Amino acid sequence: MSAREVPPKDEHRVAFDATIARRLWVYLAPHQRWVWISFGLLLFTSVLGLAQPFLMKLALDRYVAPTPEYAGDGSLDGFGWLLVVMFACALGELLGRAIQTYTLTLGGQNALLDLRLAVFRHLQRLSSSFFDRTPIGRLIGRVTTDIESLNEMFASGVVTILGDLVNMLAILGILFWMDWRLTLISLVAAPVLVLTTLWIRGRVRLAYQTMVTKRSAMNAYLHEQSAGMPLVQAFRREDRTRAAFDAINADLCEAQLGTVWWESVLSALTDMLSSVTMALILWYGGGLALKGLGMSELQADLAGAVTLGTLVAFLQYMDRFFGPLNELSLKYTVMQSAMTAAARIFGLLDQTAVTPEPDQPATPGPAAGAIRFEGVTFGYGEGTPVIHDLSFEVAPGERVAFVGATGAGKSTLLKLLTRLYDVDAGRITLDGFDVRELGVKDLRTRIGIVPQDVFLFSGNILENIRLGHPEITEDVARAAARDLHLERITDRLPGGLMEPVRERGSNLSSGERQLIAFARVLAVAPPVLALDEATSNVDSEMEHLLQEAVARVMQGRTSLIIAHRLSTIRDVDRIVVMHKGRLVEEGTHDELMAKRGFFWRLHQLQYAGSEDGGDA
Amino acid sequence: MFDTLRPLWPLILRYRWHYVIGSLCIIASQALKLQIPRFFWGTLGELKQAGDLPAAEARELILWASIWILASALLIAPIRTASRILILGSSRRLSADLLADVFERMLALAPSFYTRNPTGQVMSRAINDREYVRSLGGAVFMYMAETGVLYAITVPLMLLIDWQLALMALAPYPIFLVLARRIALRIQTLSRAAQNALGEISEKVDESLSGQMVIKTLNLEDADLERFRLRSEHYRALNLSVTKWRALLISLMMGLALLSTLLVLGVGGSRVVSGDLDFGEFGVLLTYLAWLAVPTRTLGFVISSLRRGTSAFERLREILDHDLELFHTETGTEHEVRGGSLRVQNLSVTFPALVDEPRLAGSEVQDHVGSERDVPRRVLDDVSFEVPAGTTTAIVGHTGSGKSVLARVLARQLEVDPGAVFIDDQDLTEVPLDVLRAQIGYVPQDAFLFSEPLHDNVALGNPDATEAEVLAALEGAQFAEDLDQLPEGLRTLVGERGVNLSGGQRQRTALARVLLLSPRLLILDDTLSAVDTRTSEAILEHLRPFAAERTTILIAHRLSSVAHADQILVLEEGRVVERGNHEELLALDGRYASTWRLQERSAHDAERAARLEAELADLPAPGADPEATS
Repeated sequence: MSAREVPPKDEHRVAFDATIARRLWVYLAPHQRWVWISFGLLLFTSVLGLAQPFLMKLALDRYVAPTPEYAGDGSLDGFGWLLVVMFACALGELLGRAIQTYTLTLGGQNALLDLRLAVFRHLQRLSSSFFDRTPIGRLIGRVTTDIESLNEMFASGVVTILGDLVNMLAILGILFWMDWRLTLISLVAAPVLVLTTLWIRGRVRLAYQTMVTKRSAMNAYLHEQSAGMPLVQAFRREDRTRAAFDAINADLCEAQLGTVWWESVLSALTDMLSSVTMALILWYGGGLALKGLGMSELQADLAGAVTLGTLVAFLQYMDRFFGPLNELSLKYTVMQSAMTAAARIFGLLDQTAVTPEPDQPATPGPAAGAIRFEGVTFGYGEGTPVIHDLSFEVAPGERVAFVGATGAGKSTLLKLLTRLYDVDAGRITLDGFDVRELGVKDLRTRIGIVPQDVFLFSGNILENIRLGHPEITEDVARAAARDLHLERITDRLPGGLMEPVRERGSNLSSGERQLIAFARVLAVAPPVLALDEATSNVDSEMEHLLQEAVARVMQGRTSLIIAHRLSTIRDVDRIVVMHKGRLVEEGTHDELMAKRGFFWRLHQLQYAGSEDGGDA
Repeated sequence: MFDTLRPLWPLILRYRWHYVIGSLCIIASQALKLQIPRFFWGTLGELKQAGDLPAAEARELILWASIWILASALLIAPIRTASRILILGSSRRLSADLLADVFERMLALAPSFYTRNPTGQVMSRAINDREYVRSLGGAVFMYMAETGVLYAITVPLMLLIDWQLALMALAPYPIFLVLARRIALRIQTLSRAAQNALGEISEKVDESLSGQMVIKTLNLEDADLERFRLRSEHYRALNLSVTKWRALLISLMMGLALLSTLLVLGVGGSRVVSGDLDFGEFGVLLTYLAWLAVPTRTLGFVISSLRRGTSAFERLREILDHDLELFHTETGTEHEVRGGSLRVQNLSVTFPALVDEPRLAGSEVQDHVGSERDVPRRVLDDVSFEVPAGTTTAIVGHTGSGKSVLARVLARQLEVDPGAVFIDDQDLTEVPLDVLRAQIGYVPQDAFLFSEPLHDNVALGNPDATEAEVLAALEGAQFAEDLDQLPEGLRTLVGERGVNLSGGQRQRTALARVLLLSPRLLILDDTLSAVDTRTSEAILEHLRPFAAERTTILIAHRLSSVAHADQILVLEEGRVVERGNHEELLALDGRYASTWRLQERSAHDAERAARLEAELADLPAPGADPEATS
């Protein structure tokens, strides 16, 4: 199923755009030597290719059907040598072409690899708010489908279109030089046929577009019906479903027959062009050859006649002329879609929604971990802010829990602290420095974050603990795992710590994934811990392991915890209660409970009935 | 290979005349085309000897030869077009027929087929595999016919002209063909690997973008880029080797043409000089040899298409020949469902080990690691009960206790051995499916909606239902209030391509569907799991008079919703462990009673939590000063 998106109307439909070409060149430039080698080889093979019909003419005129000046002696001395030269030319052309194709692909593939990595790197730098408004599916298309369209440009030889044109011009020159009248006559049919071909190609393209639309309709229908088939049967809708299917199927078949029709005409027409040209060469050239019979090459030339060899060479040159000509319109289409794809890719690369880096990042010493929110206001996009004028302070080494109903803005705090989003007003400081003054990487290294839904990479568990930090030795990683009793979960896995993690960690529970994330923080040892506890239910053993892990990881760190568990709330130094983006209460657990205010009610709500989980 | 393709014959025979005439057209156009070099070179040959000819005669000769070439060219074009339209067109029709056959089978396949096989697997057969099969009847046939005719005509002609020379020129062909075949297969393998590698790139981007926040906060950009780079480089390397092998294949083929051409030029040229070979025939040989080499270029494509087409057809047959699973034993007597009483007698159902179950190749067995699902499981064990017509029986039990399987058996969604289930005293397997389905209203837990207007989704079983009937059914399912929120009311497009309804809304739509049909037997398989307690009580309340006239099987998690049933069965590991009505079961003080108490309490808690939540939400957003509100 091709889920190709329909391009917006205002997109490029041009075959060539100088700006885009220049930007593409930036990626091709480092590998340009391959392209130049390829061009050089193209010229080389072209010359070898052009020589062959001429050598054929020599072979015919001098040896096989000799003109008077070569006739008579019947000696074949030079013939062998001529054959050797012809063989060398043809072999050279053949090998040259093979190497030319390969070097061009090599240059193209290298450039596209760079481009692909550049697009990926750019995607990494784009801010989180960009991803809030852009569907991931479309971005995947940029990195895959669109770059493939560019690849097609190299693979189909569009890049060498210039070489083709030079080659065709050279052939025309030779033809005119050999006999200009015969050339004109032979080309008489060409314009009509070429124009007709172009027109038919247009029809083929249209027919294809129709067909693709119908095919997606069929795919969508099949997809839905096979998903809902038991219902179709249960509600005895088979007859109507069959009728609807038949209509779509017939529709699709008709559209496909349309493409078959035009393609068949096109293929026959291309074939006809070369035969018609042959007839014209024979008709007019035959007359000239008749006139030149018995004349030497020079005489024939002066009399405006041709030799038999010239006639044969003419035919061969014509074939070499029409071949690329027929491909031109095909290449035009490839180029058009490549340009469209490139425009889309550069459109993405032009996205400036990256997290701004300070020009001269502040370089504070080893962090103590003092955090201040000063009058912070923030909202996702338009609409009401989710954080209103929020201020609080966390001293180095202090453990603070944030509680509040869903939507109170707790998780947003962590996103602001780590600069996934930037504040709209106010500022956040770490050890006295505005987080926007620190290098983004530096900032994020100072904060060890454990998100609600831990993201694991494919690889084994140990690799996931060390991920992104090659400086962490395997021993340190193992020690961290040991400290958090990771063996309690890894012992159940056949590979232990070396157990491969499946895509996004789907073979581990969310509690297990969080435990691995804790080990990651412990191994990296940042001064600040930012934890968003998992809300999902975990069994009592996991609950216990997580509790121990939180306590262990909080030790000696400034800790900000989005708390969902009673136990964590009891262990912290201070609790900050949030409601609708504002701070409503703060204090220790006992203070807040004694107050019987907001926290107390929240506590009642969140932990009502949490002691059982009965299920019939 | 041909054995595999045999079932394709009846389809092909449908278009036999297209193929026969198309093939005749190919023969005609090839025969004509092969005349063209004979005219051209023949004339040149005559001209070479033209010393013996009067000029006027020679001129006429040239003119006629040109006219013949032109005429042939003009004649070939329509014939060639016709051959392609006939054959390639037939392959398109054939492919449509094949899809229709597949779809017909899909309409008849048992529901369990669809639960076992993900939609993606079915789709990839119906779409991709069918395309490969089509190429067998289209492009591959075309190629083989054209090439076959070309060789069949050209080779004898060449042998006639000069058999020694022709044999010499053709000698390298067999060796080259064997080599080419090998290279073609290698290219095919590499291309497939490259395709997979691109798929991996795509997955990687998906993974990285979905996890972008985490990657950023953990500073994993470099590590992630490295992973992406590895995949991209792997893909690049594969692409390059494909290019390398392709270039080699083409060079090989061009080299083949080159060798034989030079051979003819050298040896044949000398023979022309010595007078053993006519100049015109020499030229014809040269041309034919060049033409013979052309099809070898696409040989690789044809070989891989043949292989792919054959295995694709095998995969298609997995659907076409798939067991229908639901069998209906013909008894000759008229069957009817009137009252809808049910009798289940010593019913046992054993699921085969998951890995042994017939499923489409490639449908992965989920959760394979360390799963006890690798062994056959008895999901229902000697279950017997009776449901008199017009009564309600509830089935409760933990997840995995077999209650859903029981519901599916009763709804005739799962095959069951004869003699275990009776409806109105007729064996379930003897009643025609059509009769059964007309009288059974089965509402499964996962409600599927088609991308159609809500009205059509409700009127699924009765497209002629009036709008008032549809509205009444929706009202019965407590959907009336939700209807006002939909942009176009009953006409709102729902389903995958329409408005995204919530799980509860979908379930209620599915219920409305069945209410509209008012079947004799109503089977609700945890139908209201995603509907909130208050609404589901309202629905059940509304259903009560409806259910009183029908036989109802009610499966639920919430015991409060089954308390009114005439009979309650408690299932555990496939066995009925307790049965009776609500009071009897409470008096029994067994599993039902303890679960009931537990649920009562948590219902109480939930009610309290809901009250608190409402209270909290009503609180004003506090000002920046925390003291102001406390």
